[in-house]
Amino acid sequence: MIKHFLNLEWKQFRRASYFQKGIAIKILLFLAVLYFGGIAIFMGGILFFGLEKTFPDIDPIVMVNNYLIYWILFELMIRYFMQQLPVMNIKPLMIIPIKRNSVIHYLLGKTILSFFNFISVLLFIPFSVVLLVKGYPVVNVILWFFALMCITMSINFLNFLINKSNTVFYVIATAVIAIVTLRYFNIFDITEPAGKIFNGLYNHPYLAIIPLLIMLGLYKANFNFIRKGFYLDGAISKKIKEVNATDLSWMDRFGSVAPFLKNDIKMITRNARPKQVVMMSFFFLFYGLFFFTQKIYIEEMPYLLGFASIFITGGFLLSFGQLVPSWDSEYYKLLMSQNIPYRQYLESKWYLMVFAVIVAFILSTPYLYFGVDIYLIIAAGALFNIGLNTFITLFGGALNRVPIELDTKAKAFSNTNGFNPTQLLIALPKMVLPIIIFFIPYHFFNFNAGLIALALSGVIGMVFKNFFLNKIEQVYQKGKYKTIAAFSEKK
Amino acid sequence: MISTSNLSKAYNGVTVLNIENLDIPKGQSFGLVGNNGAGKTTYFSLLLDLIQPTTGHIKSKNILVNESEDWKPFTSSFIDESFLIGYLTAEEYFYFIGELRGQNKGDVDALVAQFEDFFHDEILAKKKYLRDLSKGNQKKAGIVAALIGNPEVIILDEPFANLDPTTQIRLKQIIKDLAQKQGVTVLVSSHDLLHVTDVCERIVVLEKGEIVKDLATSEATLKELEQHFAG
Repeated sequence: MIKHFLNLEWKQFRRASYFQKGIAIKILLFLAVLYFGGIAIFMGGILFFGLEKTFPDIDPIVMVNNYLIYWILFELMIRYFMQQLPVMNIKPLMIIPIKRNSVIHYLLGKTILSFFNFISVLLFIPFSVVLLVKGYPVVNVILWFFALMCITMSINFLNFLINKSNTVFYVIATAVIAIVTLRYFNIFDITEPAGKIFNGLYNHPYLAIIPLLIMLGLYKANFNFIRKGFYLDGAISKKIKEVNATDLSWMDRFGSVAPFLKNDIKMITRNARPKQVVMMSFFFLFYGLFFFTQKIYIEEMPYLLGFASIFITGGFLLSFGQLVPSWDSEYYKLLMSQNIPYRQYLESKWYLMVFAVIVAFILSTPYLYFGVDIYLIIAAGALFNIGLNTFITLFGGALNRVPIELDTKAKAFSNTNGFNPTQLLIALPKMVLPIIIFFIPYHFFNFNAGLIALALSGVIGMVFKNFFLNKIEQVYQKGKYKTIAAFSEKK
Repeated sequence: MISTSNLSKAYNGVTVLNIENLDIPKGQSFGLVGNNGAGKTTYFSLLLDLIQPTTGHIKSKNILVNESEDWKPFTSSFIDESFLIGYLTAEEYFYFIGELRGQNKGDVDALVAQFEDFFHDEILAKKKYLRDLSKGNQKKAGIVAALIGNPEVIILDEPFANLDPTTQIRLKQIIKDLAQKQGVTVLVSSHDLLHVTDVCERIVVLEKGEIVKDLATSEATLKELEQHFAG
């Protein structure tokens, strides 16, 4: 039986869309996997020495144990938003004479191979190896590692329940919010008791049985949950959500663009995939912290700060904009045969991106902490984003013809939507252009000249808005048939 | 109203549609029948400029559809589910189409109200997204949306498929009224010979991309069609 399942799995893997892509993409994907895997291994390896150096008084293992709870919460959150559940494929198996139990065991077993489980493995193996090399007691380290793996798997199974059952979701969400709030107001710090628990796990290796039991318990809970709902209208059915209709008629003031704008807002708020993008763009806001905390960038290479500032305000612009026609791929034929001028369609997307840049700019106000210069460079970057990056991104989108399933979360690494060589070429000017625009006047004059040049480039772009939109419209018109054909392909 | 000349469509050298000449006058209810792969949807897609003709052209009201976009304001269609916006409710979808076609909320409400019994109380005020409706109900919403904004040409691909018997009968009446009373040119394709002969004044049979029969509907038409497809 397992043989058949594995065979199906292998076919699914081999025939998945990302294997049908060009060799260049395969290599890039492979490199990306290597890169992230490498980072995890490296972090795991260096963690010990980093901690030893920063906190010479505290044993690194104790330090790790103290803060492990945050890693677990972080992992839970990332999984909730990113991890795709493997349930939808069991429909065809339901009417075939296979024991339900083996289907469910297989289904749950499959989740063990999820990419997200490997993050922990890759992170903690090197750390444990370093511990062993450093002469920490073998039994303790190995069983501690084993306990961590059980916890990771518990999170894996817990995530499944959270996604499928509202009760579990609310219980967990309330607990997490309570923990964070209590800690924030210094009422109760979870770090200490949690640290005690994890240190206890390390000091008394036989306690590893507890995470093991938790994992088995959660596995059983999942099993029962699916077993009970092993019907079309049960656990495998998509949740049908009540409509949350908000009145958007105030947007009518945007004139002819309004219908599209209203539609885009609904598209973003009602579908899983665009919601994911919005969340990602929020994380982009923190990108500046990598740069502004390093003196070397501020003192010697300020032109790289322009690069950073593009990302702070441009997260949504970049991640949403590069997939612009794809967002509407599910009903593209409708748009193409309806009474729609392409121009208004594009303009509405442009407004949306501009709006996002402005919001991100307002949210970036705390960067004032790093000084007015930093804040000004973020402002200049925002202007560049509005005036030039929006158009470059829209232009790049025209060359992208990958359909998107709106209400399905993107899978980590299997999602190569909008990922093709042309796209990469288009991405270059988005990154390099701001650096060049800043660097030349900075090199010949001073910091302020660079700032002004960057800001001015954005203003000029806005002046030529109609020209740019016309040009982009032509590109879209030219690719119309190809785009329709690509979007109607079965995924 | 619609004239087709020397139209052909080929994929990798295989011709899937080849129509030398086909004129559809204004206000005609026109039926297209044929087995799978006969070229019905291909013809409709060419008519909506969703694919590019290999040779020839279609003129709608003297507008070359593959060169100008001026046919869009008076043409509407429902081909398949990709004409629906899944994350909208039926009402929101109607208003959206209405806005695109220059109709205000009141206009749309008035039009949609006429179809209350067609909807059979399963579409409106249901607080459900279109993607969560059943296939048949999705189709009902799509067909009614195609009637918004007083179009002069309406194209419906297999409108009867997936519909329940009651709705099929109601839809037949709607299509007849459109052509006879309002002078709308209605193009319909179907696998159900009985329905097309009921609804359409003229029926064209496609086979492997070619027109093999062009009939003005009469008492004998259904028999003739049945014989054709049985043989």
